[in-house]
Amino acid sequence: MGLLSRFSQGSSGELALLSNVELQRYSRHILLRDVGGPGQNKLKAARVLCVGAGGLGSPVIEYLAAAGVGTLGLVDDDTVSLSNLQRQVVHSTANVGKLKVESARERVAAINPHVNVELHPLRLNAQNVGELVKAYDIVVDGTDNFPTRFLVADTAYACCKPLVTAGVLEFYGSLTTLLPYETDAGGQLNPSWRCLMPREPETAALTCSEVGILGSVVGVLGTLAACEVLKLITAVGQPLIGRLLMVDIRDMGFDIVDYYRNPASPTFRQT
Amino acid sequence: MWITVKLFANFRENRFKEARRQYPPGATIADVAADLEIDPGLIGMIFIHGRAAELDRVLSEGDVLALFPLLGGG
Repeated sequence: MGLLSRFSQGSSGELALLSNVELQRYSRHILLRDVGGPGQNKLKAARVLCVGAGGLGSPVIEYLAAAGVGTLGLVDDDTVSLSNLQRQVVHSTANVGKLKVESARERVAAINPHVNVELHPLRLNAQNVGELVKAYDIVVDGTDNFPTRFLVADTAYACCKPLVTAGVLEFYGSLTTLLPYETDAGGQLNPSWRCLMPREPETAALTCSEVGILGSVVGVLGTLAACEVLKLITAVGQPLIGRLLMVDIRDMGFDIVDYYRNPASPTFRQT
Repeated sequence: MWITVKLFANFRENRFKEARRQYPPGATIADVAADLEIDPGLIGMIFIHGRAAELDRVLSEGDVLALFPLLGGG
């Protein structure tokens, strides 16, 4: 499907060069037939925006950093609290009270000093989201509310940026990948976020602080989201486009549900 | 009228994963939710044959209805 061919030479148009130290660090990637040196170069050249440095964001940030994604943008206006630490493994007890993006930057630096981290300690809104999304190659959404999720999805679509988006609650999670501005093998546009949810819920969704979350559930979903991002950058395999992964940790079930473009669904945010 | 209902995440608790169920002609998705004692306010995504649908959608014989809760945590 011609997915993300621009990553063949990195978003800057030039292949990044890996140092000897980096070649050693990423040797297990480079051994992979479908990744290799070219794939690792694509990772180094990539810019990924992580919206949310919480439960889902933690494994996303850690695995993308470890994998050698060249630039990570971290968006979160919250500070680390004690009740976060049961699942938000990018943060530590010593960082309670710190901005989450600052705390996550420390962790990224400890994991991989070759990663450039850009901090955005802000709450996304209609005024700031566009410029931010445009500055990156891929967006990963691990936010904890639907208004932000719709804002990010609509903006990523409008800016023609791939979006990997996940949600969790209790023992359950969902994950999908959206490239609604591209076509499938049959020439049909891929589905958008609004083909999943045409409009924002009228009632506020239950949150982890209200009904709880098994800590490792965000680890599973966040790690799978990181896999999707790495696959998109390296053009390996089939991403979850038009497919919704539903994870049921309670009964250890993984279901993939196909979904389709809905011409009746609104394309962008309705005003 | 027979339809197939698929439930996901906590909607499965004390219910089922997938079942063929009979409803009268003219039944809507909201009627199915009421029959299954699912609070409509907790429903996130609704698919009929993989396409998003609204609660007031009138169901047809053979429809495959999938109901997903709002998974709003991050």
